[in-house]
Amino acid sequence: MAHQIKSPTDRFEETLIALILGSMTLVTFANVVARYGFNSNILWAVEFTVFLFAWMVLLGASYAVKIGAHIGVDAILNLVSPGVRKVMSLIAVCVCIAFSLLLLKGSWDYWANFANLPGTEGRWFPTGFEDKFRGKAWYETDDIPMPAILSWMEGAFNDGDEYEKLPRLIPYMIMPISMALLVFRFIQAAFRLLRGDITMIIVSHEAEDQIEDAAQYVKDNA
Amino acid sequence: MEVILLFAMVVGLLMIGVPIAVSLGFSSVLFLLWFSDSSLASVAQTLFNAFEGHYTLLAIPFFILASSFMSTGGVARRIINFSIACVGHFHGGLAIAGVFACMLFAALSGSSPATVVAIGSIVIAGMRQVGYTKEFAAGVICNAGTLGILIPPSIVMVVYAAAVEVSVGRMFLAGVIPGLLAGLMLMVAIYVIARIKDMPKGVRASWGERLRTGLEAGWGLFLIVIILGGIYGGIFTPTEAAAVAALYAWAIASFVYKDMGPFKATPAKAGSAAAILTLGTALLAVPFWFFMEPKAALALGFIMAIGLSFYIARSNNTSIAPTDLASDLIRMPIAFWHRDTVDTLFEAGKLTVTLLFVIANALILKHVLTDEQIPQQITEAMLAAGLGPIAFLIVVNVILLIGGQFMEPSGLLVIVAPLVFPIAIQLGIDPIHLGIIMVVNMEIGMITPPVGLNLFVTSGVAGMPMMAVVKAALPFLAVLFVFLIMITYIPIISTFLPNLVMGPEIITK
Repeated sequence: MAHQIKSPTDRFEETLIALILGSMTLVTFANVVARYGFNSNILWAVEFTVFLFAWMVLLGASYAVKIGAHIGVDAILNLVSPGVRKVMSLIAVCVCIAFSLLLLKGSWDYWANFANLPGTEGRWFPTGFEDKFRGKAWYETDDIPMPAILSWMEGAFNDGDEYEKLPRLIPYMIMPISMALLVFRFIQAAFRLLRGDITMIIVSHEAEDQIEDAAQYVKDNA
Repeated sequence: MEVILLFAMVVGLLMIGVPIAVSLGFSSVLFLLWFSDSSLASVAQTLFNAFEGHYTLLAIPFFILASSFMSTGGVARRIINFSIACVGHFHGGLAIAGVFACMLFAALSGSSPATVVAIGSIVIAGMRQVGYTKEFAAGVICNAGTLGILIPPSIVMVVYAAAVEVSVGRMFLAGVIPGLLAGLMLMVAIYVIARIKDMPKGVRASWGERLRTGLEAGWGLFLIVIILGGIYGGIFTPTEAAAVAALYAWAIASFVYKDMGPFKATPAKAGSAAAILTLGTALLAVPFWFFMEPKAALALGFIMAIGLSFYIARSNNTSIAPTDLASDLIRMPIAFWHRDTVDTLFEAGKLTVTLLFVIANALILKHVLTDEQIPQQITEAMLAAGLGPIAFLIVVNVILLIGGQFMEPSGLLVIVAPLVFPIAIQLGIDPIHLGIIMVVNMEIGMITPPVGLNLFVTSGVAGMPMMAVVKAALPFLAVLFVFLIMITYIPIISTFLPNLVMGPEIITK
């Protein structure tokens, strides 16, 4: 894999993933220390970490499309001629776009009511916004405290009633955002396939880009 | 009937190069929209619930992170040195040491391809230097590398535990004896081949040499104590153990081994004294914690850490002037946001993302299967056909061996486990035993020709054509097949240790 110069967006996405994973580790560790060192618990630690986890994977999924890191089966792709491979990969990427579009609709419908917004009508395709729905913006997380900086949300979403805990619309917000990003990245991948920049959208296992370095080491030292 | 369509679609999409995650998710979504009245919103909810509802899965990113910090270079080399010092003097010693090193590294990492890459590159090069053939070297490492998912901690076991809701602690314990047994069988096979072909043996290392290399690798290997001791001592949950392990691995890699972080380019002035002082205080204090006040335990740990750092500084001939010590201590926090730390965090994050996206989508498929009561239907059909436990296990073996060739093990497991689990319970098979069977099957699937992940990885690392690796791996593959049959039909190998330590399993049907 050629090491390209990284754009600011690459850097931002990479740092964000690193930051989320780092925070997850530190919060979980801090909870252990609190338990044994201070005989107390960080109440919100578990729920907070779980949400960070979901954010990392969902946001990361679109980044993984961009760098072609999603795991797949390349056994057949490696057997056929380049022309056939291109056709197969193009069909594959269309499936991916269809999938992410369906999930984008699904996650909007899921999230919207948590933010007092209308979901969409229609089973497969959004055919318009629903007229009547029951807003669920009052629905709070179990343990995560409400930061003071977000108190404007009480007026915007909760009829001015105080939030004791962080409302669920915040952690769930990542669903439509990440799915929209996923659609975008798969469309980008389709264009790169068409132009011939890439030949497939998958790798066969997680250690793929370390193999070359290892092979070089074996060659140099044998 | 619809089920066959569902699985045909999954396999078809996989074959044309759709990512595993999307193949699973897309097929499930179509199935739900066609055959049930679920909405897309409920699919999105299931996807999010993969994280919200499965706290166990949270252990995976931390285990990956710990093994990424341990893969930053020096650990693999130190483990190999220690292995060679221990078993290098036998006939075929370097090959046996390679297996031993793979077993040790497997205890730090939860992935097979990663084990092959980390240990393989060094050992294959080393074996060729002392006169082994490239084929023999590749065959050994290719097989021993598969132990990565059998010896705890194992990502695949966490996934199994989350998918069928058994205890991660039990699964880890259950992997210990099979892992040691498989390693031992491979070593014996190598020794026999080496005696017949009269392969080179190394110099017998002195006990002092063994102790020295052991101590050096010991900082890394202590991770095993943290993980297993922490879980079975009832100190941590598996998830917490993994997080503590990740932080410990980071501290060792940045401050003691200095393979990364602020002390990499410019060696710490006071040797590792500053690191050993802080880490040592914390570690040495832990055993005393049980007997005395926390403050007294910390003080005692601190005094012992001072002694230890003086001893190490003297044996390395580094000075530990107070000013140097202070400057090193001040620089230590830099390691938190050092470029190397961020890069490793990102690499581990990337791996987590790709694995978990597969698992999350597989959980959508699982949701579909449970909703449609498909496992129950298959169970009834199979029981009606008069299928006994032995025949059933053969079917499981075959499905997994074929699937394991093409697919990343965790993804395969999330799909197959919910299908076969209820049948196994009906037939009176122990859930933990079933889990170990599945893990061993996938291990072997990775090295079974014509394709198999570890074969690909080894051919890449050794720079050999696939067919040559397949041929080289065959004799040892035969050994692992015998091992698989033993594991499948002698349940006690897997269930003895967990039942001994954690009491007998309570199975609710």
